[in-house]
Amino acid sequence: MKLREEKIVIEVSHITKEFVSPKKYPGLKGAIKGLFSNEKVSKKAVDDISFTIEAGEIVGYIGSNGAGKSTTIKMMTGILNPTEGRCMVNGINPCKQRKENARNIGVVFGQRTQLWWDLPLSESFTILKEIYDVSDEDYKERMVFLNNVLELQDFFDRPVRTLSLGQRMRADLGAALLHNPKVLYLDEPTIGLDLVVKDNIRKAIKEINEKYQTTVILTTHDIGDIEELCSRIIIIDQGKKIYDGSLEALKDTYGTKRKVSMEVKKPEKVEHLNLAERLGVTAQECSMEVDKEQKVLTVTFDKHKLQVPQIMNAVMELTEVQDVKIQETELAEIVKQIYNHGFTGQEA
Amino acid sequence: MKKKLRIYLPFASNELKRQMAYKGAFYLFIFISLFGSFIQYFLWMAIYGSAENSVLGGLTREEMVVYIFMVYVTGSVVMISISDWVSDDVVKGTVAMNLIKPIDYRMSLISRAMGQVVYRFLVPGVFIWIGLEIYKVTVLGLSVTGVTNVLLYLASCIMSFFIYVLFDFCFGMVAFFTTYIFGMLMAKEALLSFLTGQLIPLSFFPEVVQKVFDYLPFSSMVYTPVMIYLGKYSDAQLCFVLARQAAWVVILYVLGSLIWKQVTKRLVVLGG
Ligand SMILES: Nc1ncnc2c1ncn2[C@@H]1O[C@H](COP(=O)(O)OP(=O)(O)OP(=O)(O)O)[C@@H](O)[C@H]1O
Ligand SMILES: [Mg+2]
Repeated sequence: MKLREEKIVIEVSHITKEFVSPKKYPGLKGAIKGLFSNEKVSKKAVDDISFTIEAGEIVGYIGSNGAGKSTTIKMMTGILNPTEGRCMVNGINPCKQRKENARNIGVVFGQRTQLWWDLPLSESFTILKEIYDVSDEDYKERMVFLNNVLELQDFFDRPVRTLSLGQRMRADLGAALLHNPKVLYLDEPTIGLDLVVKDNIRKAIKEINEKYQTTVILTTHDIGDIEELCSRIIIIDQGKKIYDGSLEALKDTYGTKRKVSMEVKKPEKVEHLNLAERLGVTAQECSMEVDKEQKVLTVTFDKHKLQVPQIMNAVMELTEVQDVKIQETELAEIVKQIYNHGFTGQEA
Repeated sequence: MKKKLRIYLPFASNELKRQMAYKGAFYLFIFISLFGSFIQYFLWMAIYGSAENSVLGGLTREEMVVYIFMVYVTGSVVMISISDWVSDDVVKGTVAMNLIKPIDYRMSLISRAMGQVVYRFLVPGVFIWIGLEIYKVTVLGLSVTGVTNVLLYLASCIMSFFIYVLFDFCFGMVAFFTTYIFGMLMAKEALLSFLTGQLIPLSFFPEVVQKVFDYLPFSSMVYTPVMIYLGKYSDAQLCFVLARQAAWVVILYVLGSLIWKQVTKRLVVLGG
């Protein structure tokens, strides 16, 4: 095993972005009023966020709609100036030295393409080769690799505007990787893709990360992306960082609930059972639901307090159990919880 | 330098290809604008017919014919509206696509414009020019324009192109602050056709107004090269107008750089 040199690639310190826009009033009367008023509304899209990312990491940057993910990505790519704070990428301040920074990064904005709409894909790649000054050998090698993982050859000669969303996304990812960037920013790279393409894109990201030690920062609303790709996640809510740590730690701390579903012979017999009291725990730590039609009894419990056999025993005293299913709380559930209630726990 | 060429040349050649792909729309544009020139032609002929002097605003009737069509040729080749592209990029948020690449946004726009210049020069430009020369000799009884004048005209046109696009880049930057400049683009077109002398030769304006025009870049855009073509300048004047053009190129270049710096400081990329 090779020892990887731990090196900080991205350093974001106390970055804040405040959008100031003129205050709008409703209706036509409001529009006229707006013309003469000087009132402004300001909104902190990103509020005092700090983190560091090391070389070779794949970091999931998640949060609900409007949380400020894209805004942060824009600041890290140098196309948006932070109101306060600063970030350094590879020792370069992306806003001050936009062009130098651009040489080191690859960006994919899922909702829009960075390719030339009217040109065949092959020509977009030729232009990018010139722009990034990629040598002929590197270009060849990279193309073989990209064709392998992204299968670009199927539509390499077609104008970009005629590509399907999935094809375009693959093309965009390929274009972002042509110059072998040190850092890859992906803003919703799997948005609107079918399962197979999604899988391919994830595989491609993984392979690139392994082969070139590319640092990847990715925002997504797809839990699958996070589970498959990210070793670390950063969660933000209303512009504030609320979690930064490994995926396991998040699951451990917040995924304490477990679910066990039992198919029982006579549901009416367990209907009035107070399981929590019987097992000596609080109602929060153990709750029960009975579906009489399906004859299914579902118990949700705290895995640190109770074990499955205890519950099974209690139920089997009353009726026969025919089938058992045990579920861990899914990451999706945890994330949903966090988005809904904010976050009260300490940072891991 | 060679590397720069390699980077920006594709922008020019792409634009050329794109123009060819949408040539239907382009022919319509030629037809409509040329139609305007013919209306101007008939109007001026009527004016000359009813005027007592044979020379108006320093131009004879024959020179006026040359003026009208050379203004058309020059304007269509030189005035490439890059602010349209800027406003498009801002509204659609595609400006981000340019900014995440290690390229100069202004250079890429100007390169694109050059691609269009080549196309416009080849397609209507040269043909109307040759047609005009033939008409001049056979119908108007003037002699063919001399080689020196043609060369000076071309040199002046190159500077005109840079003055126009550099100015238009500065103008386009407004889009970053208001995000919507369609109305202003229309106003610009109208105002420029007036200020550049496309509508009426600048020599028709009162003395005072002409003095003001002398301090604005607009007369250097179209009027100057056409007057050179007509051979209206003495040697000393020629040196002066060419130097003035060069000065405007430098001034607008620097101005554009300064504005761009400010813009990127408070840039807002929409969408996402
Ligand atoms: N140009 C702008 N002017 C004013 N407010 C803005 C501007 N751009 C973004 N915002 C606001 O900033 C907040 C963060 O936006 P951002 O695009 O970063 O969200 P996001 O986390 O990417 O959300 P999504 O998951 O929906 O893409 C939003 O509330 C948005 O309305
Ligand atoms: Mg977003």
